[in-house]
Amino acid sequence: MEKTQAKPDSAAGNVDYKVTPSKEPLLPHLRLPAPTSATITHINWSSSLFFSYFKELVGREVTVELKNDLAIRGTLHSVDQYLNIKLENTRVVDQDKYPHMLSVRNCFIRGSVVRYVQLPPEGVDVELLHDATRREARGG
Amino acid sequence: MATTEEESAVKEPLDLIRLSLDERIYVKLRSDRELRGKLHAYDQHLNMILGDVEEVVTTVEIDDETYEEIVRTTRRTVPFLFVRGDGVILVSPPLRTA
Amino acid sequence: MSGGPGLESLVDHTISVITNDGRNIVGILKGFDQATNIILDESHERVFSTKEGVQQLVLGLYIIRGDNISIVGELDEDLDSSLDWSKMRAHPLKPVIH
Repeated sequence: MEKTQAKPDSAAGNVDYKVTPSKEPLLPHLRLPAPTSATITHINWSSSLFFSYFKELVGREVTVELKNDLAIRGTLHSVDQYLNIKLENTRVVDQDKYPHMLSVRNCFIRGSVVRYVQLPPEGVDVELLHDATRREARGG
Repeated sequence: MATTEEESAVKEPLDLIRLSLDERIYVKLRSDRELRGKLHAYDQHLNMILGDVEEVVTTVEIDDETYEEIVRTTRRTVPFLFVRGDGVILVSPPLRTA
Repeated sequence: MSGGPGLESLVDHTISVITNDGRNIVGILKGFDQATNIILDESHERVFSTKEGVQQLVLGLYIIRGDNISIVGELDEDLDSSLDWSKMRAHPLKPVIH
């Protein structure tokens, strides 16, 4: 736990910490341009491939392997644009070694801690993936 | 912007990966992991879907008595694997030789 | 596009959070946001070790930053109370290595 460093003035007490609003923007060079339709299109196509793919996989059994070496098997319930994953009817693959989640049946896994997702072979249409990938690559 | 260029033009790193679609590639990952598999999909984060994947994990243990390093590799195969791009260190296209 | 982790259904329910440093914190979900920051009431940590059973540390009201969260699990309270955690021995979970 970090402690806030004591400011030298604070020892004297009665320090006014109120921030006086300035008319000038703090970081004028960081002001973003108004969004155009082009930038919005860009955001839409970028990285929607796997988001869309995982949405198609909802209802199937997957195994999510995390960056802490935990592997959780379950039914894919939902996914969001960060590739956060919700699983239902979960079980940890090596439950004897990892009893920590024994009483958890449904869970939310943060996308950033996912290393792999083992996919059901029947849920992979190779041709479709190739086409979608080429389309997405062109968009960039 | 690249609509008039032919499919095989290689201008940036990801173009080289595009040319590896449906080919077996080598991927080196963080935490001493390596993958070999057929590339079926990828995006600009290097998230990928690989097929017929072989994973090799290298671990180093120190012997309690001799303090020697014991290097172990564990292998497994997975039919289809989604790989999150933030763990990818390098991607190598299929070898032309061998 | 719908945003956020969609934890509405877990509000006022007991959840088990695995943090990136491998800790297991159990408490009642009171709130969350887009970044998976969460408010946990009546929270306590379950400390796993191989030397003794699970120890409970009382923590109270906690706000956990989303960046440090690996898993948010819905605790099945019937299942949970049927388990004898004081006899459970296990290594603590490994930290997440990005």
